[in-house]
Amino acid sequence: MNAVTDFLRQVVEGLGSGAVYASLALALVLIHRFTGIVNLAQGELAMLSTYVAWQLVASGMPFWLALPVTLVVSFAGGMLVERIVIRPVQGAPELTVVIVTVGLFIFVNAMAGLIWSFTVKDFPQPFPDGGIEMAGVRVDWSTLGIIGVVAVVMGLLYLLFQHTSVGLVMRAVACNPSSARLSGIRVGRVLMLGWGLAATVGALSGVLVAPVLFLEPNMMGGVLIYAFAAATLGGFDSPVGAVVGGLFVGVAETLTGAYVDVIGADLKVGVPLVIILAVLLVRPQGLFGRAAVERA
Amino acid sequence: MSEPTTDRTEATPGAEPDFLTVRGLHAGYGQARVLQGLDFRVARGEVCAILGPNGAGKTTTLRALCGMVRGRGSVTLNGTELLGRSPEQTARIGVAHVPEGRGTFNDLTVEENLRVGAHLRTGPRRRGRAERAAVAADLERIHDYFPRLRQRSRQAAGSLSGGEQQMLAIGRALMLRPSLLLLDEPSLGLAPLVTRELFEIIRAVNEEEGTTVVVVEQNAQLALGIAHRAHVLEAGRLVLSGPAAQIREDGQVAEVYLGVSVRSRKAG
Repeated sequence: MNAVTDFLRQVVEGLGSGAVYASLALALVLIHRFTGIVNLAQGELAMLSTYVAWQLVASGMPFWLALPVTLVVSFAGGMLVERIVIRPVQGAPELTVVIVTVGLFIFVNAMAGLIWSFTVKDFPQPFPDGGIEMAGVRVDWSTLGIIGVVAVVMGLLYLLFQHTSVGLVMRAVACNPSSARLSGIRVGRVLMLGWGLAATVGALSGVLVAPVLFLEPNMMGGVLIYAFAAATLGGFDSPVGAVVGGLFVGVAETLTGAYVDVIGADLKVGVPLVIILAVLLVRPQGLFGRAAVERA
Repeated sequence: MSEPTTDRTEATPGAEPDFLTVRGLHAGYGQARVLQGLDFRVARGEVCAILGPNGAGKTTTLRALCGMVRGRGSVTLNGTELLGRSPEQTARIGVAHVPEGRGTFNDLTVEENLRVGAHLRTGPRRRGRAERAAVAADLERIHDYFPRLRQRSRQAAGSLSGGEQQMLAIGRALMLRPSLLLLDEPSLGLAPLVTRELFEIIRAVNEEEGTTVVVVEQNAQLALGIAHRAHVLEAGRLVLSGPAAQIREDGQVAEVYLGVSVRSRKAG
């Protein structure tokens, strides 16, 4: 019985880190759906957001006020990035746009170092210490909190996309921008909105993971790899896939780290790479993605 | 279903002869100049067919009208200049373009596709009960024209047959309540029976809604069957214009420019 509860505890812990990967993976998938590219700078934008949150908290704002303010700032920042950095290369070959995101990666990373220095900062833990026992399994408040916050944001996103006219228009643009234009939709504005939403969801991953990883400009590098694995597993076209993929990757990471001695804590970074490789070999479109098949 | 070859020339609602006026229209893609100066007019409520062989510039003409390609010259709709506007702007003026290859939103359901068409009227600032009722009424109206869409309301558009997708694309365009409907090769890739059904519906829409239609077609006979006037395009110039019935009857001309024997098809 002890072994079972221990296993369950590992699973819940894995879901906690999985929720973080899920939110960054969802940001990647949103950008991919709207812009058709993988935004390599997504993690760095999240890191920048996390510094904004840190700055707000450091200047005396309570965390639970700083979080929504940070998300709003991130939303605006994402829209600005689309308008200023991505719009000028819209319609350029995909590789060009991806390279632009690499440039953005380096720029944001250097900016953060310049403003806040590269020394590691302590990020406040927003959730209380300790935890509760659920069915004999001890769960930390911080794990529950992360899962809860991510679940709420995912739920709000779902409502936005499936049950509002703005969401409908956004899905139409993601699906077929030229037909959207012909229906009178201002596609440029919708793309800005998409980048804003992605930046918001991504920011969440940074802020939630910061108490665990500590805050420094390179903190999101590892998380981005896990998010890639999650998005690849779920399918780069599927928001639901990103979330499921993120949770799966989190659990897989925790379990292999805990139970496979050869891997342990040191080698578990390899887990997402193995997942990426396996998915690309077996089912390149991912679990929830669709293979690119066009009707003749 | 009646044979779509009735003479509609006399029915031309010619009260306002200058609803759509195209003057000296040049357009192309990069170095390739496709349109070499087109002049034609479409009266309000008229169906105008643009015919011609492959590469004549038919599709480019429609794209220039809706703003998908840049054009020189002048195109006015009810006095408003269309050239220089983006597709989203011309859509807001009342131009609904159904592109070649349909262009439905395949991930969205049939009903969602139609609702996207109505989004200009249901935007954030216009969400009143009256607007919702109007959209619901429009959905009903579209469903009456295209009963198949009603049956498939909750199905993903990507799962529809080619003919149903074309109907959906036209239905979505009608949800804009356009004053000018541009149809690019509606018969493309469709079975003959489906094509005939589609053209009957286009005719009904034109008659009942009074929507002005410009239709580009390879299938000259079908297009002439529902059109009031027709223009024949060759190598970027209009080589023949006139009432649809006259062009249809002038079998020799049609044979020369359209590469089809209209008469023999009609007889067969």
